[in-house]
Amino acid sequence: MTDRPKNRLLRPETLTALGIVAVAAGFLIPTSELPPISALLPAAMLIGLIALSVALLVMDQRKAAKGDAAAPMTQSPKRVLGAFGLILGYALATDFIGFYVSTAVTIPLVAFAFGYRNPLGLLIATVIVVGTIWAIFDFGMSQDFPTGRLWKD
Amino acid sequence: MLNIFKKAAIAGALTLAAGAAMAQGYPEKPIEVIVGYSAGGGTDVMARTTMPFIEKYLGDGASIVVKNMPGASGQIGITEVAGSDPDGYTLGTFNLPGMMARTLDREAGYDRDSFTYLANVVNDPNVIVSAKGSGIESMDDLVAAAKEAPFAVTVGMSSLGGDDHFLLIKLQKMTETDFTIVPFKGSAPARTAVMGGHVAVGIFNVSEIAKFQGELNVLGVAQPERSDFAPEVPTFAEQGFDLVNGSMRGVVAPAGLPEDVAAKLRDAFEKAAQDPEFLEAMAATANPVSVVTGDEFRALTDGLYDLAEETWNTTPWN
Amino acid sequence: MYADLLHALPNVFAFANFAAVIIGVIAGIVVGAMPGLSATMAISVLVPFTFGLEPLVALGLMAGIYNGAMYGGAIPAVLLRIPGTPAAVATTFDGYPMAQKGKGGLALQVAVVSSSLGGIASAFALMLLAPPLSKVTLLFGPSEVFWVAVFGLASIIFLLGGNPVKGLISACFGVFVSVVGSDPIYGNDRFTFGQLEMLDGIHIVILLVGLYALPPVIDLLETPLKTGVNSSNLGTEPIWKALPRMKYWKTWIRGSLIGIWIGILPGAGGSMAAFMSYNEARRSSKTPDTWGEGEPEGVAAAEVANNADTASALIPALTLGIPGTAVAAVMLGGLLVHGLQPGPMLFRENPDVVFGFMWQFLFGAILLVLLGGSLATNSFARLLNLPRPLLGSVIIVLMLIGVYSIHGRMFDVYLMLGFGAIGWVMDKLKFPLPPVVLGLILGGFAEENLRLALRIGRGDPAVLFQNTTSLILVALTIAVIVGPSLKKRFLDGRKTAE
Repeated sequence: MTDRPKNRLLRPETLTALGIVAVAAGFLIPTSELPPISALLPAAMLIGLIALSVALLVMDQRKAAKGDAAAPMTQSPKRVLGAFGLILGYALATDFIGFYVSTAVTIPLVAFAFGYRNPLGLLIATVIVVGTIWAIFDFGMSQDFPTGRLWKD
Repeated sequence: MLNIFKKAAIAGALTLAAGAAMAQGYPEKPIEVIVGYSAGGGTDVMARTTMPFIEKYLGDGASIVVKNMPGASGQIGITEVAGSDPDGYTLGTFNLPGMMARTLDREAGYDRDSFTYLANVVNDPNVIVSAKGSGIESMDDLVAAAKEAPFAVTVGMSSLGGDDHFLLIKLQKMTETDFTIVPFKGSAPARTAVMGGHVAVGIFNVSEIAKFQGELNVLGVAQPERSDFAPEVPTFAEQGFDLVNGSMRGVVAPAGLPEDVAAKLRDAFEKAAQDPEFLEAMAATANPVSVVTGDEFRALTDGLYDLAEETWNTTPWN
Repeated sequence: MYADLLHALPNVFAFANFAAVIIGVIAGIVVGAMPGLSATMAISVLVPFTFGLEPLVALGLMAGIYNGAMYGGAIPAVLLRIPGTPAAVATTFDGYPMAQKGKGGLALQVAVVSSSLGGIASAFALMLLAPPLSKVTLLFGPSEVFWVAVFGLASIIFLLGGNPVKGLISACFGVFVSVVGSDPIYGNDRFTFGQLEMLDGIHIVILLVGLYALPPVIDLLETPLKTGVNSSNLGTEPIWKALPRMKYWKTWIRGSLIGIWIGILPGAGGSMAAFMSYNEARRSSKTPDTWGEGEPEGVAAAEVANNADTASALIPALTLGIPGTAVAAVMLGGLLVHGLQPGPMLFRENPDVVFGFMWQFLFGAILLVLLGGSLATNSFARLLNLPRPLLGSVIIVLMLIGVYSIHGRMFDVYLMLGFGAIGWVMDKLKFPLPPVVLGLILGGFAEENLRLALRIGRGDPAVLFQNTTSLILVALTIAVIVGPSLKKRFLDGRKTAE
């Protein structure tokens, strides 16, 4: 508790409120270029967001002044960041390398990385999921998934 | 009409003779037709109804696959077509005057010269309608009401910068009247608003009101002859208004398509246009057919572009 | 007309036509139950495929999918707090707490029975009352529809959760997202940053999958456990034993009427019906405090209403060409493919197909209890027994497919991931999500209709109060906003008098 003054601005709610104010203020710039009638509703919402976030900020800082500790967002930030990273990686891989390859790699990779390590189970799950998707979407409905931008010319 | 076909056929025969060698193998693989709207939309149904007949007349087991790339009023799809290889294996649906108007009111990734014009398939003329019991039963009633109180007559339509809008602009100029435009999101809500009496009149395409003739007064059709979809409705010309306007849907390829391939495709469209089975299928899906190909299609596009540009320069809509 | 209805019946029982409904219902439940996949997406993938099918086979599939998906969405809503479809958001309010208390089985049974009843009521409305109800739709012009949207937005008050400031931030965020895209009147771009993909606005499924499905997936991966979600103890008992104890007649009738009414109004759709039914049921409940903590009646209220607008949404779609929900909009495309052009003539020109389609809706709703009650529910509950990391990775794949397939583009997937990151922060800091959903659905809708109404009135706001329908809606809105506090005052006053 010695470093409380430094931590007060790093409370998750305070950070979020500051973030909303910054982003909403940023959006006000393109809003100002719209014709007045088009700008009315978005401007009202952005100003509302800024005002409400300031209220949230004040409330959170009062709590901080009272000495309430803020609950951390997560117990294991590494796992959360890892999960987000893998999901983003999967989307990028689908886009650039192709859907089926990426999916066949991602399912076992994610499950393995997060604690499910049974090789047979991984194999069966991957085959079932990819196979079913192919059978229904590609074979049954002729629905195309991305084939990968890298391979296009 | 017959003249058009003859001319095109001669032109087609000439180019065919010139480049027969290249076209002989075409198509060697499936042809993709990009539709800029969702499956089940008017343009999509036009494409999916037409393509089996194009396959038939291309012969040699030609196969055509329709691919939907919906979004931004068809712009995503047509931009993709404009940027594709002109090898005859990527075609796209093309809507007028929308595709041209969009090059004016926003930055577009294509222009008039980005395409090889194959065939316009559908020409859906505008109509003006009013609710039953509204007191507006003819064009004279409408013009009289607008003259009596400028801006008092509300006009529902599907959007600004579309064919409905251009028809109204023409009418306003011609009769020196002013109306209040109410642009709904799409023609169905606008039509409902006319039926419910929330707006005084509406501007649509004839196919959109064909099934609602019992519920609406149709004041006139904006094409030289009466429409098969509403044979009892007089044309505007019959009532002394020189108004011809409508929305069109056709098929284009990227600019630079080899002339023999283009000729082969145009030929297939012309043959399909003569096929009674095709005409029947199109009528069932609310598509008034009027096929023009090649240079005439290009001239049609130029005409509509000029109209849109003039309108945009005098009365921009956003 | 009723003779046409009977005439169409035998054909519905033709093998292929009936099988289509059964397959549709099962497929619908599966699609609805898969987090990330939605009915809108399933039917839009199906439409091009139906070109080659007989009309009643194609329509039977669609009717079945629509009915099935509206219930299927409840399965992950109850078990994982991920609404399987947009309309199942309100089902999470009480369904998930029930599952946590070991009553997930009961929650699903209440859901399937309520869904089925709502679907049946809606099918009857479509079959018997389509022409008069379409006249009701005609009463709603831009100013009336604007008030409907305001009425719906007013119900956000009840969804704000414990911290009203956070609730309002959520609502403002939702409304702001709804204005992205081209301006509803002029068509100029708002916040699209030159991306054509943003011009049509942000599809509700993209936002919903991001906000609702991604945070639970992160949770599944975050907790270092190898076991499955605890669903082995669903507390399931045979449905015939549970059935007599479900006495929610008032809620069912109220929810059905709300669902049918929302369905015939253009634009708002299933989620609004479920929210409103849930609010009304809670307001009239004797124990409103137990709601949100696992009240089975809350599940009943949400599920009956989101199925009750399925068939009724087709009333304006078939008679006027204006779909009442996003799913009905896609189905309209499926009808056009088969040469069925909406309009008053439709019923006269193609009676066998149109009335057959209505029967298929009714049978789809009835089949829902049989197929959803036993088969599907139990097998899905098993699926959720998968080890957490595996379940998480499968849901990630489904999310990508579901979002990609709506328009066939990766752009939407990236957008969804962005909303997912926002949703994760909101979830952790206890910002309520329902106001975002309602704000997105109704914000832009209210704006569009207000501006149309003002154009019709040439800028004079008096146009908004010019007729009875508008005034009734204004009164209802005021009642919803000030009603609870008046009631409280009245009760307090009585107490002090005593």
